[in-house]
Amino acid sequence: MQTAAVVAVFLAAYVLIATERIHRVAAALGGAALMVLLGAVDEETAFFSTETGVDWNVIFLLLGMMILVSVIRQTGAFEFLAIWAAKKARGRPLRIMVMLVLITAIASALLDNVTTVLLIAPVTLLVCDRLDAPPVPFLIAEAMASNIGGAATLIGDPPNIIIGSRAGLSFNDFLVHMGPIVVVLLGVFLLLCKFLFARGLEYDAAKAAALMKLDEKEAIRDKRLLVTSGGVLALVIIGFVTHSLTGLAPSMVALLGAGAAVALSPKLEPAEYLEEVEWPTLVFFAGLFVMVGGLVHVGVIGDMGKWLTSAIGSHWLAGASAMLWVSGLLSGIVDNIPYVATMAPLVVDLTKGADPTQAHAMWWSLTLGADLGGNATAVGASANVVVLGIAARNGHPISFWRFTKYGLIVAPITIAIAWGYVWLRYFALA
Amino acid sequence: MAEPFPVVDLDTDALQAAAAMAKRNLPGIVVRGEDGKPHTVIPGSQVLNFVIPQYVQDDPHLARVYDEEASDAFARKLASVTVRDVLPKKKDLEDLPVVDGDATGIEVAAVMARMHSPIAVVCEGEGGEILGVIRMGKLMSHLLPEHGQEG
Repeated sequence: MQTAAVVAVFLAAYVLIATERIHRVAAALGGAALMVLLGAVDEETAFFSTETGVDWNVIFLLLGMMILVSVIRQTGAFEFLAIWAAKKARGRPLRIMVMLVLITAIASALLDNVTTVLLIAPVTLLVCDRLDAPPVPFLIAEAMASNIGGAATLIGDPPNIIIGSRAGLSFNDFLVHMGPIVVVLLGVFLLLCKFLFARGLEYDAAKAAALMKLDEKEAIRDKRLLVTSGGVLALVIIGFVTHSLTGLAPSMVALLGAGAAVALSPKLEPAEYLEEVEWPTLVFFAGLFVMVGGLVHVGVIGDMGKWLTSAIGSHWLAGASAMLWVSGLLSGIVDNIPYVATMAPLVVDLTKGADPTQAHAMWWSLTLGADLGGNATAVGASANVVVLGIAARNGHPISFWRFTKYGLIVAPITIAIAWGYVWLRYFALA
Repeated sequence: MAEPFPVVDLDTDALQAAAAMAKRNLPGIVVRGEDGKPHTVIPGSQVLNFVIPQYVQDDPHLARVYDEEASDAFARKLASVTVRDVLPKKKDLEDLPVVDGDATGIEVAAVMARMHSPIAVVCEGEGGEILGVIRMGKLMSHLLPEHGQEG
């Protein structure tokens, strides 16, 4: 009876999150509260259990990176980079698109996708205004690049943080396993940009000359802050990479970095260095963890894990393939964060006692599917939604179908290539 | 307090309307509808709102990367549009800073404060003919006569 009630609460909350009938934070917190009332969760399991409670490593890693990003944002470095890149491309639209896609993808791997597009999109509009070029293709390409680039690292996309924590995968694991395929996918995506977006982008020497008059150095607001916060970010990345030597968990490294960035920026007010902290997202994560913990506690996840284990048997390639494609499909339709939060404990059960290579195949399939599937539709990833909002506010509305028309080409192609990578690396050559 | 004031139509060239504001140092301009009644008041800030791209308004630091020639390019945006194009969205037009000819100073101040308008349009009766406008400076001198004289 308790199990049925817990499953019903979980599904109801999930439907509310997916359909956005109420705010996702309210749905997750409401679901978590009902789990407590049903006796599936108590304070011990919610706050102190590493198996079924709030994953504080995830919450504090996100918090630390959000604070660090808030400080870096005050420097104007992204605006500088984007204008510098456009000038390096000598005002040629397709070259500018390539540069902006690369900057977005690399920045998304080091920061989070939403912040990256929030910083790049306004400068893109500025550059396109100067060139009299349509900004929509650039903005769509940037949203997609952020989702692809974010897949490369542990900190690039929130689902990766959950997967890293639940599966015990380090920053270097992500770099080694996801880095190569993301580089390939970016190359393919740039080729796709040429075919999907280049039509209508024409070079005009007079307009290019107007672009060359922009002064990117003026975009830098505080040189000292740029040097200190850039240095702190570099140290944080080194901290992630040297985790096996220092023993410092990514969450601790991020918090140390956030603390150092704030300490070295005495002019910044708390409102400024907390500007990028998305408290609703952090609370949403906490609610989700409690909800999923309830499912684990009553044994639903364990039972599903056993069922999946027997269904997959020794057919790990079929299992990884299904994981990749189903994750890609679902992430295009619903938010990939709750999806990954639910799937992670299931994959933990599924891979218990499995060969490490096959376990890796399952985890990377989940990561690739969840991250790349977000490109399929306009609502598949937070970065897409943010770009659509900026475009609309600036008089260049992008309809759901206009984005999705491109997404339904990019997402299946990138997922298919990712499937080839999983097959080759973890099965054919393993 | 009411004084004569230039009135433009919805189809007036936006650059011409902006030039009228600049030349006579006006805080805004009254727009007459197709029925001859006041349609709205465009404050100078609304003209700037139209001219300056939203992304620069969101992140004013971006304005620093432009050279001086860019301001000419922004101003040229007004050359190809009419007053109708510069108006804010429909929902913002529902209320007008309009007062009757016999409105008291406090009534005028209340309307201008509520609408965040630098001028109030004075009409003959409800929705009637435009008699003139009351500017912020005139209203302040009326409400604070002693301070106005000191200044």
